[in-house]
Amino acid sequence: MHHIRARHWIGILLSLLAYAGVTTGAAEAHPHVWVTMTTELLYAPDGSVTGVRHAWTFDDMFSAYATMGIPAATKGHFTREELRPLAQVNVDSLKEYAYFTYAWINGRREKKAFNDPVDYWLDYDPGKTVLTLHFTLPFKAPVPGKQLRIEVYDPEFFIDFQFADQNPVKLVGAPALCAVWTDKPHDDNFLTAQSLNRSFIPSEANVGMGMSFANKIMVQCP
Amino acid sequence: MTGAARIRLAVWAVLIITIALDAHPAWSQLGPFGGPRPPAIGGVAGWVLAEQAVFYRALSGSIRLAKSDGSALWTLMGISFVYGIFHAAGPGHGKAVISSYLFANDETWRRGVTLSFASAVMQSLTAILIVGVGAVLLGATAKLMGDTVKDIDIVSYGLIVLLGARLLWVKGYGFFGALNKLGTDSASRAAGLERHAHNDTNCHHHHDRDHAHGFRCDKVHHADDVSQHDDRHCHDHHDGEELDVLPWGHAHGPEPEELAGPGGWHRGLSALVAVGLRPCSGAIIVLVFALAQGLFWAGVASTFVMGLGTAITVGTIATLAVSAKALAKRVAHKPTGYGGLVVRGVEFGAAGLVFAFGILLLTGYMASERMGLF
Repeated sequence: MHHIRARHWIGILLSLLAYAGVTTGAAEAHPHVWVTMTTELLYAPDGSVTGVRHAWTFDDMFSAYATMGIPAATKGHFTREELRPLAQVNVDSLKEYAYFTYAWINGRREKKAFNDPVDYWLDYDPGKTVLTLHFTLPFKAPVPGKQLRIEVYDPEFFIDFQFADQNPVKLVGAPALCAVWTDKPHDDNFLTAQSLNRSFIPSEANVGMGMSFANKIMVQCP
Repeated sequence: MTGAARIRLAVWAVLIITIALDAHPAWSQLGPFGGPRPPAIGGVAGWVLAEQAVFYRALSGSIRLAKSDGSALWTLMGISFVYGIFHAAGPGHGKAVISSYLFANDETWRRGVTLSFASAVMQSLTAILIVGVGAVLLGATAKLMGDTVKDIDIVSYGLIVLLGARLLWVKGYGFFGALNKLGTDSASRAAGLERHAHNDTNCHHHHDRDHAHGFRCDKVHHADDVSQHDDRHCHDHHDGEELDVLPWGHAHGPEPEELAGPGGWHRGLSALVAVGLRPCSGAIIVLVFALAQGLFWAGVASTFVMGLGTAITVGTIATLAVSAKALAKRVAHKPTGYGGLVVRGVEFGAAGLVFAFGILLLTGYMASERMGLF
């Protein structure tokens, strides 16, 4: 009986590894939509947080794609009314993706923290030819405002979310002396921000590509 | 195998592994489960992603510019080409299916590269057809177009499932056949039968060198005969042809006449259609944007150039898959026959992967591409 030499196995194993490396390259991602966003956190008079209000501006190519075939009274100018059906489609399909908005409440990542969006509409900027989607996500129940963390990202990273350069986060009606941190993956100061928020992060096995690109908002109120 | 050949093989192995590992950032960055998350995406993936964003913006910028400045079209072509190369370095089931398909089958690198190019051209054509008919002629909305692409996806994924199922059947037959054969072979050997001499005569094969034949070619070939019509039988190999007949009785090596000959492309056609049917979302968006700028033809040219870039990346990956397979086979090329069995098993596994990709894509567990918010 012939036995297989170790060399055979090593060779086969190496080839398999090479092969696996080639095929599983699928774990990487490439976005087709770029979103620049500003976010507002809405506070109740008692200091609890009632919702998150987003304004997402899409890149010009995606905006052209999204608006194609939509009739406009003035060419190249879409009114809020003309864009109403599109806004509805956007909001409806965002539900499947949990609005790409994840809330950490009392140190836990809540998957279904929000009710369906309210106050949603689309604006079109004819100069920059870009669409902006406005919508508000109400929390199912008001969330204690002492320590809150919101993340916005697409786990599959087909959409690249980025905070606007200027004033990306606003606290609306928050008590005095609340502190806000934003953590932008595209930011040069990322590492500083990372060490800052370390105490916030409970371990979580769900490490996805998009998560490394998460835009984080952390708020601490007295 | 000579000493020089061994060294060459070793160098190849190291090269392939290095490239494969480099190309797969998750391996170098994967933190322990539950442990601290990796910080910002760095390394190759981060660079590729950052570059993609830059190129994507440059793409729209140059289309805009081309409206007033014709020379911007050249910039657009350059950007499209590089974007295509980067784009294919991201995910995409096409790459995975093509390389698994090539790994499962004994294909030449030429066939692998041609398959990559053909599928890229087909992807470009589907994108142009969809936008041409949908947006230009029918004035479709993004939702309608997105739904159409979804339908095409389902057909494409279904085809991948079928392709995988067929490969599984074929390779399973070969694998389990070889498994049985090995059992009887060992038994015969124990009985003192000398097989090797028989094999050469059975095959009418007169390539000496170090080709050893662990199995009787005629029997083993039967398995391939059932599955793949254009696989040659041992007795078809006439002198003058440079063939490696391996223990599992398969011929390989670049043979231009086989590639070009009638029926030679049938095998690849199913993989081509399954992969090429699905248009690239990026191309559709660029086409629609170009159309909105009144430069549809610039978008069409950009789509083809992008496809060319994509084909180069996928072709490189296809070459890697073919090389890895060839390496596995050469290393396993030993008279014992176990090596052959292992390769059969690996082929069976690769066939299973194609099938699994198809099922995962079809059931939505594996996202290939998504248009975003529609």
